[in-house]
Amino acid sequence: MDNTQPQLNPTQPAAVPVATPAPVAPQTPVQPQSVVPPIPSQPVPTQTVTTQPSTLSMIENLATRPIMITITLPTNAYFLSGIRDFTLGLIKNMTEFSEQWAFRFQSVVDELCNNAIEYGSTPGQDIKITFISVPHQSIEIHIEDTGTGKNKVTAADLTRMLEEKRKPNYEFKGLRGRGLAKIVAEWSDELVFEDTEKGGIRVKIKKMLNDPKVQQDMAKYLESPNHLVLS
Amino acid sequence: MTQVNITIEDIPVTGQGIVAKLVKFQGQLDESNVDEKSKLIYQIIEQNPQNLYLLFDFEELEYMNSKSIGYLTDWYGKITQGNGKLAIAKTRSNILDILQVVGLTQLISCYPTLDEAKFALLRANSTTAPAEPTVSVSPVSPAVSPSSAPVQSSVTETPAPVAPSIAQTAGNEPPTIQQIKLE
Repeated sequence: MDNTQPQLNPTQPAAVPVATPAPVAPQTPVQPQSVVPPIPSQPVPTQTVTTQPSTLSMIENLATRPIMITITLPTNAYFLSGIRDFTLGLIKNMTEFSEQWAFRFQSVVDELCNNAIEYGSTPGQDIKITFISVPHQSIEIHIEDTGTGKNKVTAADLTRMLEEKRKPNYEFKGLRGRGLAKIVAEWSDELVFEDTEKGGIRVKIKKMLNDPKVQQDMAKYLESPNHLVLS
Repeated sequence: MTQVNITIEDIPVTGQGIVAKLVKFQGQLDESNVDEKSKLIYQIIEQNPQNLYLLFDFEELEYMNSKSIGYLTDWYGKITQGNGKLAIAKTRSNILDILQVVGLTQLISCYPTLDEAKFALLRANSTTAPAEPTVSVSPVSPAVSPSSAPVQSSVTETPAPVAPSIAQTAGNEPPTIQQIKLE
């Protein structure tokens, strides 16, 4: 993962608490014949300093904050090669998933977008793709269609269909139907179908970084002679 | 349309009645081109309904979607019905990953080199051949940059697409949720 850190502001001082000085009792001068009344002692105002968040905590905050990127795409399979390239680059450069997983998410996004375009929307409309990367934790990908496709289905329909196809004895016949059950489901930890307010479907997948399979792949990735750890 | 190029050449064989062809794929097979490009393979199968031996060279195949997997399965079925054979060679690791996750490697043998694939494919028909070739799967590492191989036959031009809009949004949760926990 490329943790591009914001630059430290060299002019910003670290917050330092200021001690409150103790009040000093006024000294009574030696009086000549005339008596000068002593100046009444004034309380010394307490100086308060508002502490600012340290620069280091700001950097840590940025490094752990989830990153969300949303892309709106016309319903045309023509654009999917660009989305695949974008997905590959994003996963490889902005997350800690390995190259193998970057290619897998490339397939996942392609399959979900295909379904959204083919079944979920009509030509001339848009689908929406959202990537949410939580550093050191997970990646989520949401694909949303408009619900204007030829055969309207609900989230419940899709759930039933997927559960049917995930059965061990299910036989895939024909050219289609493998994408969701065989590719998307296999390469996700969570798969959620939601009905949107506009009548479309939103498919959400999530993959955890701490999944044993991911960790195993990462270990192989780190063992690669091309992977240098610089300290 | 995403660019993909398919070239076909004959493999010389000594066996009678056997037609063997090397089919080389370059580029990406996806929803935009797979229906059109699959016709080339169906043509070969129709022209040679019996004893057709096809060897697919996937070295420069960068991507294939689930529909192309469906076509591959259909080709395998038609070829084997006519006493033919189908094998794949020099698959990139990401392509092999896809073939494995859909279970196609249990159906179609994948070989790391063309020579091994040819040997296994053609030897399988000889009377002294062993029952099944051993599957040796050592994928070719995928190149990150797009293939720069020269185009040898039909070229599919890819005009520049309109750039999609990118915006950061805070998504709101919809009311109805169907959730599946995957093990």
